[in-house]
Amino acid sequence: MPPKRARTPPTKSEEADAPKIRADALQPTLDLAAQIYGQLANGEIPRMRLPLRTKQNIAFQAREGVWKLGRALGTRSARKLDGALMLLRTFYLVDFINEMARDQKTSTLRELYYISEGWEEGKFHSEDESNLLIEDLEVLCERLREEFRVHPEENGASVIGDLTIRERNRKGIVKKINCRDDVGDGGYSLPFNVEKEKIEFLSTNAKFVIAIECGGMFDRLAENGFDEDQEAVLVHLKGQPARSTRRFLKRMTEELKLPVVVFTDGDPWSFRIFASVAFGAIKTAHLSNYLATPSAEFLGVTASDIENYDLPSDKLTDQDVRALQAELTDPRFATADWRAEIELMLKNGKKAEQQSLAKYGLNYVTEHYLPDKLREMGVL
Amino acid sequence: MSPPSIAQQLAAKQREISVAEFFERNRQILGFDNLQRALLTTVKESVDNSLDAAEDARILPEILVEVSKEGEDRYRVAVTDNGPGILRREIPNVFARLLYGSRFHQNRQARGQQGIGISAAVLYANLTTARPARITSKVEEEEAAHVLELSIDTQKNQPRVVSEDVVLWDRPHGTKVELVLKAKYVRGRQSALEYLKGTAIVNPHARIVFVEPDGTRVTFERASTELPAPSRETAPHPFGLELGELGYLLKASKRPSLVEFLTKDLQGVSARTAREVVASVGLRTGDSPSGIHGEAQERLLKALHDAPLIAPSAEGLSPIGSMLIKRGLRNVLGELKPEFFAPPVSRPPKVRGGFPFMVEVGLVYGGGLPSDQAVQILRFANRVPLLFQQGACAITGAVSNLDWRRYGLDQKGGSGVPVGPMLVLVHVASTKIPFTSEAKEAIAEDPELDREVTLALQAAARHLRTHLSRKSRREFAGDKFAIILKILPKLAEKTSQLVGKPVPDLTPVVTRIMDVVNVESRLLSDPKGVRVPVEITNYTPRARVLELFVEVPPDLFANAGFSPAPDGTDAALGRAWWTLPKLPPNGRAQVAISFPPATDLDTNDLDWYVAGIDEAHVLGADPLPGDWDVRLPRTIVEAAEQAAADAAAGGGTSEEEVDYDAAEASAHAADEE
Repeated sequence: MPPKRARTPPTKSEEADAPKIRADALQPTLDLAAQIYGQLANGEIPRMRLPLRTKQNIAFQAREGVWKLGRALGTRSARKLDGALMLLRTFYLVDFINEMARDQKTSTLRELYYISEGWEEGKFHSEDESNLLIEDLEVLCERLREEFRVHPEENGASVIGDLTIRERNRKGIVKKINCRDDVGDGGYSLPFNVEKEKIEFLSTNAKFVIAIECGGMFDRLAENGFDEDQEAVLVHLKGQPARSTRRFLKRMTEELKLPVVVFTDGDPWSFRIFASVAFGAIKTAHLSNYLATPSAEFLGVTASDIENYDLPSDKLTDQDVRALQAELTDPRFATADWRAEIELMLKNGKKAEQQSLAKYGLNYVTEHYLPDKLREMGVL
Repeated sequence: MSPPSIAQQLAAKQREISVAEFFERNRQILGFDNLQRALLTTVKESVDNSLDAAEDARILPEILVEVSKEGEDRYRVAVTDNGPGILRREIPNVFARLLYGSRFHQNRQARGQQGIGISAAVLYANLTTARPARITSKVEEEEAAHVLELSIDTQKNQPRVVSEDVVLWDRPHGTKVELVLKAKYVRGRQSALEYLKGTAIVNPHARIVFVEPDGTRVTFERASTELPAPSRETAPHPFGLELGELGYLLKASKRPSLVEFLTKDLQGVSARTAREVVASVGLRTGDSPSGIHGEAQERLLKALHDAPLIAPSAEGLSPIGSMLIKRGLRNVLGELKPEFFAPPVSRPPKVRGGFPFMVEVGLVYGGGLPSDQAVQILRFANRVPLLFQQGACAITGAVSNLDWRRYGLDQKGGSGVPVGPMLVLVHVASTKIPFTSEAKEAIAEDPELDREVTLALQAAARHLRTHLSRKSRREFAGDKFAIILKILPKLAEKTSQLVGKPVPDLTPVVTRIMDVVNVESRLLSDPKGVRVPVEITNYTPRARVLELFVEVPPDLFANAGFSPAPDGTDAALGRAWWTLPKLPPNGRAQVAISFPPATDLDTNDLDWYVAGIDEAHVLGADPLPGDWDVRLPRTIVEAAEQAAADAAAGGGTSEEEVDYDAAEASAHAADEE
């Protein structure tokens, strides 16, 4: 066995745009208000122009290797009822975040949704609507939602592996934590803020990071000691990964130089999970160079795995087929490998869960499947 | 001895078929093939008799229908009416003898005709429970009512009076039929309740009370005190005449000459045609009708069919009439609060095979009617609801063959019964309805009938389309009003507060967002009268010169008051118009029309039009139709030309921008679907 070499992060951090609350964080929100006020005073129909966050309007940035928003703009105008409502909401929201800044408060996205109960016509109809509007504001103001003092609920993506970090906890106490030895079986839970002022990487002996879609598989790898045997950091994605999870993966790659592999179910929705980790999600394309890990690789379960390993499978539903077809027109998947993968899944008409590998016993995944795949990928 | 010949053997088997056997073999066509249907048919036959009797006597019908449970699968049906009553001597034959009736030989529209219905119900009750029918009837000129218990002698088809009594009855005249029968009580589409509901819709002059077995009482109040016009008996028309019938008529005729027979006992034959027909078949005009036999009859009928005859008269028909269809539908469906009652359509009478017929259609849309189910089709033949065999009926065929998508309804592939919150009523009135079978459940396909039903449906559907397009424009307007009245003021307030400046004047923005002239009419009804105030507001960024027009139902026009006085009227067509004062942006004008108290009017009955502006810039009114032929003031003509030029130039503001929220929503839908 080769001698273990502890990796330490480079002294000069290459971290990109870490959010610190700037002194002028909220000035752009007031500029927006001034813009609309000016239109009203001039007798013009109030409107704003925003980059479209649709798959037709994302563009690959070769330099950073991520997908970012393109140049197509849409208009939100008070000429239409929906547009007028969104404009009104925007300024209720601007008012609210300025008020929070004065009072030194923060709010969860969910609280924000309930706060809007008091906004009369501006009330949100769903949490989706409030989440999208916050993102709109991020794009318009070129700020992160944390700077607006709005954050998601703790979603506690879990980490297990030989990674030592230093976390400043809610009481301001700094704790050194090894994510294998100092945590319980649930692993280390990520807070919503994983920036440097909150979490510092100290050292790791791991050789790679494996991001896992489902809790059951995460537990299986932990129970089988995969992190120790193969020197891996296990990260539980919990379905579509939260921003903090994606940010954490990116920091591990950038600061610890660890490769990331993504291990999901073999279905169209899992492809999208991988895409949001590696390429950046369409809805948060404005944050891609902050959240995406372009070097991440897809491990499986691939469409050919289902055949090669003869995995128990389900037939694709109509919804699955539509999702795959939509992926064929998604520029993020427009590579020969991905097209072949998607077309193969469509051709075979089958999907399989990660845990279907248990067909060959509980150890099969850690003793055969993953080592084989990782060797194939050149990670082991 | 030689064995009996085959003819003898057969002769030995010949015998009269008893009515009981006849009944057994024809259960289905008589409507007694299952327990649930037996109950419905019994109610139906009794109620039809009651309605026919009341109508003949020109009485507004009051009918009480009671169904109560007597035991396992055993129900008592009691139907009481306020009809003229039946003479004692007629009671046994009317109720307990098959094929006895007063209408079979009449050439006019009536519910019952064959003289089978009620007797069949009595027979069914007799056969299934061995209980006699109990009939109570009182005529006005007698002091007391006769109560008879009747059964049918199934061998001889003769009534048997089981018991008889005379009682005092607290009503001047009327009849009550009580039967105990084996049956099953249900609710739902093919139930007694549904039948009575349909009956109430097409007989708004009747008051019907229904008491269900569990005591639930459903009352269909009378919605009109107007009796339907009586249908008159008319002579048969040669086109509908079979040879046998002609023979019967010739034999029974008391006319002295053949020409008189042809012109008086038949209809549609002029004296000249009669003479020509008689000559063409080698008979003499003075021949006695009863002396024409055999082959001469045949030649006569053929010559009549080839002769130029006058079309059959529609006098034998008794349509419901649009006013009463509307009232009936409103009365029965009112609690569903439909948003739209189309003006009912009554087609002019037409003829098929020698019999006149006409089609009427009513259409109701929206409100509590289910929007995700097939459209309800209420079928009626001579005012009788048809509840069975919907799929086999020509009415359903006509509804299915119409492309309802053109009228704003969902319909897969443009055929089949459409889906939507709609109910369509189709009534076919005729002296002879072409039923698919003796059970009288469905009307047979017939090209002429189909054409008439289709034309009537199309006319009603056009009203629906107008309604739906007005509604969508109203909704569009509703959005605009929500923006300018609720959202914009708050947006202005919020942004002003954030930048610390006073709230600006919003008028220019408001007129830019709306960019329409809004014509809003309301309907106010109080004991002093019915008033329709109309407000015309110019929500466009420039001054407007407009001419406003209204079309009122012509029969209401004479009693309508206008304020201010219109600049022109056309009373015959029910039209009035005004040149409005010049309206600056945000400026408004008012006019009002008033009608006498209790005028039967709804906002759909008034049509508003404007001139001087293009269609896209007007809400609540349509552009003036080209065929009005009104001389417009020069200023209006110029304004209209200017508006047309602006519209052609693209209205000044061509918005080719992508709507951000719409793009997001559709991307979301496409991806997540």
